[in-house]
Formats: sequence, structure tokens, C-alpha cells
Amino acid sequence: MAKHSIDEGVIEQLVKLLDEHGLTELEYGEGRWHVRVSRAAAGLPAAPPTPGSESGEPDVPQNRESAAAHPGAVTSPMVGTVYVAPEPGADPFIKVGDTVGEGQTLLLIEAMKTMNTICAHRPGRVSKILAQNASPVEFGEVLIIID
Amino acid sequence: MEPRVFDKVLIANRGEIALRIHRACKEMGISTVAVHSTADADAMHVRLADESVCIGEAPASESYLNTAALLTAATITNTDAIHPGYGLLSENAEFSEMVLEHGFVFIGPSPDHIRMMGDKITAKDTMKRLRVPVVPGSDGLVDNEEEARKLADGMGYPVLVKASGGGGGRGMKLAESTDEIGTAFSTARSEAMACFGNDEVYLEKFLGQPRHIEIQVLADSHGGVIHLGDRDCSLQRRHQKVLEEAPSPALNTEERDAIGARVTEAIGSLGYLGAGTLEFLYENGQFYFIEMNTRLQVEHPITEMITGIDIVREQIRIAAGAKLSYAQEDISFTGHAIECRINAESPVTFTPAPGRIGDYHPPGGLGVRVDSGIYAGYVVPPYYDSLIAKLIIHGQTRNEALMRLRRALHEYVIEGVETTIPLHRLLCENADFVNGDYDILWLEKFVGLE
Repeated sequence: MAKHSIDEGVIEQLVKLLDEHGLTELEYGEGRWHVRVSRAAAGLPAAPPTPGSESGEPDVPQNRESAAAHPGAVTSPMVGTVYVAPEPGADPFIKVGDTVGEGQTLLLIEAMKTMNTICAHRPGRVSKILAQNASPVEFGEVLIIID
Repeated sequence: MEPRVFDKVLIANRGEIALRIHRACKEMGISTVAVHSTADADAMHVRLADESVCIGEAPASESYLNTAALLTAATITNTDAIHPGYGLLSENAEFSEMVLEHGFVFIGPSPDHIRMMGDKITAKDTMKRLRVPVVPGSDGLVDNEEEARKLADGMGYPVLVKASGGGGGRGMKLAESTDEIGTAFSTARSEAMACFGNDEVYLEKFLGQPRHIEIQVLADSHGGVIHLGDRDCSLQRRHQKVLEEAPSPALNTEERDAIGARVTEAIGSLGYLGAGTLEFLYENGQFYFIEMNTRLQVEHPITEMITGIDIVREQIRIAAGAKLSYAQEDISFTGHAIECRINAESPVTFTPAPGRIGDYHPPGGLGVRVDSGIYAGYVVPPYYDSLIAKLIIHGQTRNEALMRLRRALHEYVIEGVETTIPLHRLLCENADFVNGDYDILWLEKFVGLE
């Protein structure tokens, strides 16, 4: 294999991109030369899909880690199924861009045939709704981000 | 005709046994769902399972014992059957009832049988009725100190006062003379109330130097019942098993066949379903039933090694309504197997030692099996029991197994946390152990507790 002097600038850029976008791994190549920058230890089996990501929607998995760390993240306190509206056919409780007050109902999670209300833990603007209607969620899963 | 085994099984457990169940499922083409606490998000079986669901925070009460979360996880993943493993909710009759009420198959016996064997008095009475030998003792509950003294004086000391709701070595007080029976009785009652929520106690003769020998059974829904031989689990510290071997060095073929037949007939009459283990104290050639575990046991691998049978696979098949794959005449015992339970604990003080595993290198070679979910970089959480690996050795003879065990223990590398590997290394050099000459008091003496 041809010797290639290491361009530190490229590595730095890759690391920066990795961090900025909350990625676990990033590979860049030019011709036959490739470099991979990776956060996790290599060789371990990958994490399996969680129930929420099975729907095939572009859930942007690489944003999950950064989403959970966001102070405005509303995470699920239980395993269950999300419902975004008070009843089928009704308008959703909230949409992206809405301003919510602390304690305002954001969505419902059904578990064991009981509906549980999920409320805003702080006032703010709904910037992201990650939960999908009638989708399963696990404990700790990020549902909504309030800025 | 073979009934369809399940499409999907939810593993309601963690650690090495969750991985064990996952493996059996995958070999049968069954999808697995791993439920886990936040502390177990990086567990090996969670990584390998087809799906995983985080069900709660680290404490078991919020996750692995959280029935609502478990059942909801099963619902949202369209699970067919739930395997409860051992410990946790595996012998909780209410849990098994709820599993059934929600339309899932519980991989285990009926709630009634779980309940029957969960109450130690009912279990003993049932076994007496089925002509399985039991430890001499009171005829049911003992209500007051007077009665206790009368019975104990009559039976002869030492005598154990045992909690009916106890088990696994918990809820017992010893009285060595008529002077001690009063205190033992009242302390046992109050402790039983505190630990198990009921103060019912009974009396049992205390056996001086017995061995703990247990018999593995399997029963299907077509009247098929077999036993898979015995296991000697006498090496215990504070009623926790440390090392087990199969077959027991203390039994000969006639004794094994006789107790096996007795147990098989009893289980057959009960209409029991699934895997079960009858635990006995064995002294002077006599067996005395103490309790039955209506679940898979930690030490099941040593039976698998000498019989060649996958017990978890049989559990799953039985739960799906299939006939047992074997009749008693198909079962043969080949060679000898020994299991060392490796805990993340100080080998001297037995203080738990959770932490991050550094280098990890398990032993290998012929006749060496390691059942463990740990890996280099894995963090052993502080919230659960300290068992991190089981080293299981098989040899053509007991001597070969001992040599192999010694060799394997010296290859095993687990850095970063203290483990009980040094204790096992000492054990396999010890003359009494090598001669098979030990009883249920032996290990505590060896580690200096007596």
C-alpha cells in the first residue's frame, strides 16, 4: 500500500463533523485512501433496532444521543404506545412551533389499557416532535424537544 | 405433528441467563426481545437480541420486577411467549397469571404449581402425599412456642424453625437445645413477617452433615415426564451455591435411578409442566426433600453437559405444546461436569466489586464452556447480583474434569474487577474437594466462616 502522509487537518475536520452532528462513525476516502473516525469500540455487535425505529421513517438515529442530552428533551417515563391527540380523529395536542406552558399536556402514552398524560416540564417552544402517533416507545426515549 | 414453536419470545431477565435464553431461541429460529433497565443498555444479550426495549431505571423494582412495563413491552413487540429465567419474577405466581391473562404463553409451569411449591409447607405436604421422602418435622404450621418446644423435644435437637414463605436458605433459625427453641421460634416469626410479609413457621429436623443433591425433571403436556439426573450443590456459602457438579460423587447408579424414578412418578401425578428441580438433603444414604424450584436453575449447564440435552430448548418446546424430545430410556449420562460460579466479589471477603472490566479472556479448548455476558469494557452494574460468569467443564471422568478445570481456571483473565476465580483455583487444589469429600458445611469452614 502506498505511503500516505497524514493530513492532520482532514482528521480534525472529520472529528469536528462527528461531534457537530452527533455521529458515532464517519469515513472519508479519496481514491484508494480512506480514513475512518469512530467513537465506539470496534468489533462489538451493533445495537439492535428499538421498536420505535422499525417503521422505516427517517428517525435520524444519529441525533438520538444529542437529543437525549438536550435540556428541553421530554423523555418517556414508561414503555407504551404514543398517541398525539386526545382521541382518534381529533387535532393533536401540539404541533411544531407551538408555545407551551409548564404542565401543558403534550401527548398520551397508553400502557396496560390506561392512558397516561405526558406534560411539559418547562415552558417554551416545541422545536421537535420525535414521537409518532400509535408508535411504541421505550423508557427514556425522547418524545419531544422544547426549546 | 410438531406444533409451531413461537415466532417471538420476550426474555424477562438479564445477565448471563438472558443471553442463554436468547441463544436457545436463535437456534430455534425464534426472534428475541430483550427488555432491560437503563443500567443494562449495553448488555451483551441486549446487543444481540432482535429487538430491545428499555423498561425502566436501574433498580430491579422499577425495571425487571415492573410487571406493567414487562407486559407492555410484550404487547408493543407482539411477543408470543415470555421466558422468566431464574430469580426475579420466575417463581411469582401473580406474574405468571398476568402473563396468561394478557394472552402470552408463560414458559414455565402453571400459576397453581408455582404457588404450591412457593409455599414450603404445601410443597412438603404435597411431596409427602406423593411418597417422596421428606425431612422429618412438624405436621404443618406451628402456632405457638409451647407447641414448638413439645415438637422439638420430641424430634430431637438440633431443630430448624423455618418460614413457610421463605426458601433459598432464607427465613430459618436454628435451635440446638430446649433452652434455645423459644427464642428461635419468636425470632423466626418476626423476621419472617419482616421479609416475606407472613409469620407462618414450621419445624424441621436439622441434619448434621448432609449433602445438597437435586434432581432435574422435565414434563410435557402429553404425560411425558423424565428426569435428567442429579447435581451435587453442597458447596455453598450462606446458602448461595458456589460450585456444582454432576453427577454427585456421593451417589451410585442404583441410588440415582431410584430417586429419579420416585421423583418422576411424583411429578407425573402432579401434571406439572416444564422444567423443575427437586432439592434434597442427602445423609447416610437417605434423601430428604426440602424444596422444589419451578424454574430453570443457574446450574442447569452441568446437566446439559452430561446428557447432551438443551434444557432451555426443551422448556420452550414444552411451553409451545410439543412432546418431550426424549423418553427416559433415551437419557444417558456421559462423563462428569463441574460449574464454577464466578462473581464480581472479593474472593476473601465476598464484598461485591462492580466496575469496568478491563482485559477479558475466557478459557477455551475441549470440554470448556463459558456462560457469560461480559466483555472487555463492560461495566458490571452495582444494582443486581454479582454473578458475572459460569465456567462449566466437562470431562470423560471426574479426574479429567478436575484437571481440565484447573487448567481452564489458570487461563481465565478478567481484569478490572475482583472476582472469585482465586477461590475456585484454591478449591480445585484442595484434597477434600478432589476426593468429593464434602458436605453443605464444608465450604464455610474452608473460607473461615466457622
